[in-house]
Amino acid sequence: MIQGLSWRRRAVEALTARVVGLGGGAIIVAITLIFFYLVMVAAPIFRPAQISELDVLRLSGSQVLAAGSNDSFESLYAIGADGTISFLNPDTGALRGSERLTPYPLAAVRLVFPSNDTFALVGEDGTATLVRVWFRRRFDGDVGYIEDHVDRLFGGEPLPLPAIPVEQATGHHENRFDFYLAESVLKVAGVDASGNIRIWQFDQLDDRLSQPPAVDLRPGGSIDRLDFGPRGDWLYATNSSGAVAVYDIAVPDQAVEVYSGFLTRDGAELSVMTPLLGRYSLMAADNNGRLTQWILRRGPEGAGLVAARDFEFADPIAAIVAEPRRKGMMALDSRGEMHLLHSTSERYLASFPTGLSTPAAAAFSPRSDRLLLAMPNGDLRRYAVTNHHPEISWAALWHKIWYEGYPEPVHSWQSSSADNDFEPKFSFSPLLFGTLKAAFYAMLFATPIAVMGAIYTAYFMAPRMRRWVKPGIEVMAAMPTVILGFLAGLWFAPLVEQNLSAVLSLFVAVPLCMLGFAWFWHLLPRRVTQPFDGWFAAISIPVLVVTTWLVFAYDNGLERLLFDGDAQAWFLAALGLDYDQRNALVVGIAMGLAVIPVVFAISEDAIHGVPRHLTTGSLALGATNWQTLTRVVILTASPGIFSALMIGLGRAVGETMIVLMATGNTPLMDFNLFEGMRTFAANIAVELPESEVDSSHYRLLFLAAVVLFVLTFCFNTGAELVRQRLRSRYGNL
Amino acid sequence: MLSLTRTNSPSGERTNPGDGGSKGTSPPREGWWSSGAPWIWLNAMAVGIGIAAVAGLLGLIATRGLAHFWPADVAMLQVDDGTTLIGELVDIEFTDPASFEQTGQPDSGQIERWLLKTGNRRVNGPDFRWVPTASVVDRSFPSDVAVFERTEWGNAYGRISAVYEDDALVATGSPAWNELQSRLERVTELRDEIAATQARTIDTVNYGLERLRLEKRRRVLQGINEASDIEEQERVLMATYNEAESRLRALSEAMRRDAVEIVIMDGRSIRQPLSDVIRVWRPNAMTVGGKLLHYVRSLAVFLTGDPREANTEGGIFPAIFGTVMMVLLMAVIVSPLGVMAAIYLREYARQGPLVRLLRIAVNNLAGVPSIVYGVFGLGFFVYLVGGTIDDLFFREAQPAPTFGTPGLIWASLTLALLTMPVVIVSTEEGLTRIPRAMRESSLALGATKAETLFRLVLPVASPSILTGIILAVARAAGEVAPLMLVGVVKLAPALPVDLNPPFIHLERKFMHLGFHIYDVGFQSPNVEAARPLVYATALLLIVIVIVLNLAAIMLRNRLENRYQVAET
Repeated sequence: MIQGLSWRRRAVEALTARVVGLGGGAIIVAITLIFFYLVMVAAPIFRPAQISELDVLRLSGSQVLAAGSNDSFESLYAIGADGTISFLNPDTGALRGSERLTPYPLAAVRLVFPSNDTFALVGEDGTATLVRVWFRRRFDGDVGYIEDHVDRLFGGEPLPLPAIPVEQATGHHENRFDFYLAESVLKVAGVDASGNIRIWQFDQLDDRLSQPPAVDLRPGGSIDRLDFGPRGDWLYATNSSGAVAVYDIAVPDQAVEVYSGFLTRDGAELSVMTPLLGRYSLMAADNNGRLTQWILRRGPEGAGLVAARDFEFADPIAAIVAEPRRKGMMALDSRGEMHLLHSTSERYLASFPTGLSTPAAAAFSPRSDRLLLAMPNGDLRRYAVTNHHPEISWAALWHKIWYEGYPEPVHSWQSSSADNDFEPKFSFSPLLFGTLKAAFYAMLFATPIAVMGAIYTAYFMAPRMRRWVKPGIEVMAAMPTVILGFLAGLWFAPLVEQNLSAVLSLFVAVPLCMLGFAWFWHLLPRRVTQPFDGWFAAISIPVLVVTTWLVFAYDNGLERLLFDGDAQAWFLAALGLDYDQRNALVVGIAMGLAVIPVVFAISEDAIHGVPRHLTTGSLALGATNWQTLTRVVILTASPGIFSALMIGLGRAVGETMIVLMATGNTPLMDFNLFEGMRTFAANIAVELPESEVDSSHYRLLFLAAVVLFVLTFCFNTGAELVRQRLRSRYGNL
Repeated sequence: MLSLTRTNSPSGERTNPGDGGSKGTSPPREGWWSSGAPWIWLNAMAVGIGIAAVAGLLGLIATRGLAHFWPADVAMLQVDDGTTLIGELVDIEFTDPASFEQTGQPDSGQIERWLLKTGNRRVNGPDFRWVPTASVVDRSFPSDVAVFERTEWGNAYGRISAVYEDDALVATGSPAWNELQSRLERVTELRDEIAATQARTIDTVNYGLERLRLEKRRRVLQGINEASDIEEQERVLMATYNEAESRLRALSEAMRRDAVEIVIMDGRSIRQPLSDVIRVWRPNAMTVGGKLLHYVRSLAVFLTGDPREANTEGGIFPAIFGTVMMVLLMAVIVSPLGVMAAIYLREYARQGPLVRLLRIAVNNLAGVPSIVYGVFGLGFFVYLVGGTIDDLFFREAQPAPTFGTPGLIWASLTLALLTMPVVIVSTEEGLTRIPRAMRESSLALGATKAETLFRLVLPVASPSILTGIILAVARAAGEVAPLMLVGVVKLAPALPVDLNPPFIHLERKFMHLGFHIYDVGFQSPNVEAARPLVYATALLLIVIVIVLNLAAIMLRNRLENRYQVAET
């Protein structure tokens, strides 16, 4: 440092260096950290699940038939065979309260479908009492606590279940009846003494129960288990040999068997069967260690069950507990090892050895973060489960997945629905496809115009015109894309729909007319044309306008000539192409317009920057202008043009508003020019505001942002490297 | 901003090898095709398409956007089925008879039909209807047809038959028009007063009450149970509120006094209370001057008014205000940070592979899709930073978020991040172009590095810095996608700046021109009626962005000239 500076100047000097050094460096590092933050948020979806055991609680009293807890696991309950519900503190096991629900002992307790908190208590006297367990959070000042409640439904009146032999709750027999309750209609299915299925329906009118006549179904074989299917319109009947029958009971007095078959293969015995959330699929385990998901398929060819996927284990599965809000489950094998599984993603999430035999009752907490096993010896075992994103796996994001209700595996993105038992479909494939499709059509439209325009502007155009054209195109680069999108969606899309044949004809007619005009121009005396060299671009505009006007004016005739009078119908009939109003053609042109200025500006610079001595040398050697252009200039500038295209592609891939407004945003996987698409960017814009923080959906959208980031970063880095090499090449020439 | 090489001369001054005389040799003998001339023409056509597209789009938006405020003539059509239609002619369309069953003429080519805006949505049903031109028996423009702009149910068209005061007839026939005008003036005054009372008193009281509620809760959280002073203040506010409330009631009662009777197109008379009428005009009777005045007034209302009817009518002032506010805030954030980062990169960091890597990274960030920044802003700023601020300072408001929800400040920060590369690159470019000699002479004269920076480098580079900031502002003003995630809403209940302390409310959500276009054009229930408004909004946004960009371009060109001088 220079000697003799006053302390003040020295302080300023040091302070500036410090502030700029730290601050500037920090800013640059910070903005490059965006990527890492996005990855950090997205990463947990691939983390494996964890199970850990908490202390064992010991319950006194009778055998537990059902158990559960409130949402946040602050109160848990167990319903005993003596008809008593006990609420416990889950940490200490201390009794919070208990209530006698039925005056008689219970034979079995069954969860009423589709609820997670309503139970049918089947008494030994052959009646069923329905109770709902619920909790309320109360505040005393600032201290919150949980209140336990039990409601008796139907006025606490026990429902008679005549003709059903209710035995002591052992083995499978607790499952020989099932309950379905929605909007005050209760359906009960049971197997009567002679082995027939009987279905009652109770309507709750004015607090009284009316009971329409029961329906009888005569199954082909014995039945060990009945389960209502989705919305109570279906009924599954299974027995331990693996035989299954599906009944359509949507109209009760026209109930009909629609399918029968086996849930096991190769003659194996069925060891245990449990329906998943919503009961669109059944998880069936055989005694060889295979666990199969059977999906209820409904279609024009009839309903039935299809095996969608298998989970394989070394030991047979002895018990399955389905998660209450997701399509996941816990499977306990005969050696007592717990396996956390998820049906959609086909993931084996975690295993935990317990050494336990089959529990008397088992349940997940509503948020699936705790697992309760009530053992026959009175132990109440609790497990902490960390399993936030079971439905996602890398394979499930990209591969075809067999979803519930689908006839075959598909790529699908459908993140949410009004139903609680909805199976989210998180496949990135249609989104990536849509992104690339939109970018492809945009580049298809933009590349020739931008590159050829750049060639003309840089090489042929009169300087006076160039001085106006360049900033004009640059201004267009700044045009807000929301405006392009709005015009594309509300003005251009209807225009294209009405004049499809004209718009398509333009792609041929405009170049042809241009060539025709060029031929005519060439016939004019050179003396006349000479002053206009370099102004061809301006001259071409009237030609363009006239051509366009002509094509649109004779659209009707064109349409009759080319497409039998109706372009949309012709494409559907001849090529099988559906037509959406907002389609890839519209997006391609609109987004092409957004990309053109970017590609134009960079390639124009590259062409214009080709060193003069190359071109003058070529011309001096006798090459024509066109020869010099194609063999010297474009070849030299080609890396620059390439990098321009890369940057344009990057912009097309990430463009949001145009795609959002000019397509129907349907996640299709179809390359059809006349159908829309859904891109990553548009998908994020539509779904992220509604997505629950830290949910799988939320993190997946962050992952989508990472994918976008990586895609554009690769394009841009590639372009940048090429440009740097080009720059040094120009420097050497 | 995206330039590969920078020539020292202003771009375009250099002659192109292909233009002018050098190409002027006659086409080679071997033929027109192989001479390349067709290709040159095709290349020229590409430029032509580009220019035509830009001009066409701008022209389309400008004509549609500006035409909206012109008081269109109202036509009266006699249709051959005996009905009379009154409305504005909005569009003429040619359509295939096949898709239009009402004409019984097969294969007559295309038929012409008019789109008529008939208004009177409450009585007539849809606002718009198609009329086949062939079915129109007579078309006239009667001078006594009036257009009623209303606060509800869109426009109404019809003849004024009478004016009532408290159900008592005041005027009929031609005096009714003048009577209506004077009474409308009174209603407008009352409406303004209501709005003022609402803004000055009711909103302030509500804001005060909310603050008191939070203060009470804060004390509870701190374990203080003393709240009598707060209750006292609440009582005072409530008294003010009740007073204002009764005043409002009286005002709206007074507003409902008058009514006008309109004979609409099917001959029915409807009684229209003046309280719902904003303006009445008779376009067919207007002179060009009158129409011009009407036009200017409509434009002024559009620019300064609040939106009505789910944003499909009225003005866009909150959107303009929100856009400007957000962009200003962003400029305040991005300018010092971006410039500082650029100075660091160029002047203080040791040039090496790491800095080169950082420079490439910054360049690339300019190409990262804006929606990605939106995602980052939502996750990092809104939920992480905002959520933390709420936990630390706004516990009394919880579980309702204060800063932990999208808002103005987060939108500005996100866009600052988004435009940071623009400012950095532009500033760096300016710093690079300062001749070495300049810097060295400053150092040789004994100035320190910091002094050289502040007294010489920054002033000389200031046009580049300004260019960068303008480009950043232009980009931010037109950007919509990230804003949808971090703070923009279709209808903000209050502006981010008002008379309630602390006056600037950074946590509030705001409206934005770009989002307004998206929302009204695509999410609104009555797109057809709102469309002209969207064009007008788009025009405004385009004008803002283009003016900013042109300013940046001009600045840059001037700068280029200046350096020529500096270097020679």
